[in-house]
Amino acid sequence: MTLYRPDSLDSALSLLGKGGMTVLAGGTDVYPGLRDGAPPAHLLDISGIAGLRGIARAGGQWRIGAATTWTDVIRADLPPLFDGLKLAAREVGSVQIQNSGTVAGNLCNASPAADGVPVLMALDALVEVQGPGGSRQVPLTDFIAGPRAVALDPGELVTAVLIPDGPGQGAFLKLGARRYLVISIAMVGAVIATRSGRIDRARVAVGSCGPVARRLTGVETALTGAAPGDVARLVAAADLPELAPIDDVRATATYRNDAARTLIARAILMAMEAPHVA
Amino acid sequence: MTNITLTVNGKSVSRDIPDETLLSEFLREHLRLTGTHVGCDTSQCGACVVHVDGKAAKSCTTLAVALDGAQVTTIEGLANGDLHPMQEAFTEHHGLQCGFCTPGMIMASVDIVNRYKAEGRTLTEKAIRHELEGNICRCTGYHNIVKAVESAAAKM
Ligand SMILES: Cc1cc2nc3c(=O)[nH]c(=O)nc-3n(C[C@H](O)[C@H](O)[C@H](O)COP(=O)(O)OP(=O)(O)OC[C@H]3O[C@@H](n4cnc5c(N)ncnc54)[C@H](O)[C@@H]3O)c2cc1C
Ligand code: FES
Ligand code: FES
Repeated sequence: MTLYRPDSLDSALSLLGKGGMTVLAGGTDVYPGLRDGAPPAHLLDISGIAGLRGIARAGGQWRIGAATTWTDVIRADLPPLFDGLKLAAREVGSVQIQNSGTVAGNLCNASPAADGVPVLMALDALVEVQGPGGSRQVPLTDFIAGPRAVALDPGELVTAVLIPDGPGQGAFLKLGARRYLVISIAMVGAVIATRSGRIDRARVAVGSCGPVARRLTGVETALTGAAPGDVARLVAAADLPELAPIDDVRATATYRNDAARTLIARAILMAMEAPHVA
Repeated sequence: MTNITLTVNGKSVSRDIPDETLLSEFLREHLRLTGTHVGCDTSQCGACVVHVDGKAAKSCTTLAVALDGAQVTTIEGLANGDLHPMQEAFTEHHGLQCGFCTPGMIMASVDIVNRYKAEGRTLTEKAIRHELEGNICRCTGYHNIVKAVESAAAKM
């Protein structure tokens, strides 16, 4: 195995262009996978590329560079729109995992249980991709093509996650078999914008309840105009065709369906509360 | 193969190693510093925690080649003649039973206390439990570990 550590995006892209490279960001998904077989022949470490790390706002859009870690997210000064992302950041593994693991790596790994995916879907995130054909932006919902599959062509690298700025407050709830260091049984990201105490716009996504995380567009529409007191009833009555959980070692499908519905209502209410993330 | 030079426990070491060598393997197999334990090899248990440039890192989740030039401290490098206050506190409060998790617990705990001191934050029992999420102990039930960290924090 050879490890490459380019310090510029150009040299990273030209190395990638040669083919046969496995991209390495924080490595928290790559390293545990190394025991599953022969190590990849070529690893491309992107963590040292200048300008790829950090969170900034420009032109009505937030940009989370591809080398930005979960700890960077927790420490960043961000508006309430990102409260859900911050809560998710604290739930990714443990402190050491958050110190190394990146937001972009979580998306690229595309585990059905990736905590970053539903939160970022609720934020209408776009994935910025650069490659031989230049730069393009893909909505996260299209980028996640299936369990462990993403819409990246050979030679392409994710360079940032982009989030449109706007009103609203975020929330995130995760259910696991224990409190910490756990793979999600179900998790919900919500972003709610209110006007005079009622829901102006609801954005809700659920993960771990199907092959990929999904936005719940039916519920989002049904919630428009709702007061906090209506939320539990509306969610309980909603048709949720997006939920397609399976039975697995972590939980049964029936339990997941039930738990997800409860988490959805709680996350929405949480996103309507007075700011709660320190 | 890549040649790397690291400072390990204050001493400069230089070796030719395959690029896929994990730091845990480098420390244990190449330098025979077997105080760093490998419990899970999948970044979960924390038995392998060492300090890289002063920060806690899971050595099973780091390629040694990527650390060329870094300063690494392992459990063997913590005592300076006398035991480190954290080591003393683990002894005094029975913060271990079989001891397998202990090197990682101690390295993680020293990092926690250093970080909280540097940032001027108070280290509560709740914070200790939260910060130790990445270190798993099969024996103690954690109570004595938390007590040990609290007591060492007062002395460090
Ligand atoms: C103990 C432990 C606990 C964990 N707990 C959680 C948890 O609670 N929730 C959760 O969601 N995840 C969890 N994870 C998984 C992991 O930590 C996260 O998915 C993390 O965000 C991955 O980021 P990374 O930078 O480490 O990715 P890496 O391991 O470096 O990469 C992941 C994948 O993405 C690819 N990749 C990375 N960056 C790019 C890029 N810029 N462009 C193209 N491809 C790229 C890599 O090739 C690889 O396939 C856990 C992992 C461990 C080891
Ligand atoms: S051996 Fe490294 S975390 Fe378990
Ligand atoms: S003392 Fe045995 S694992 Fe912690």
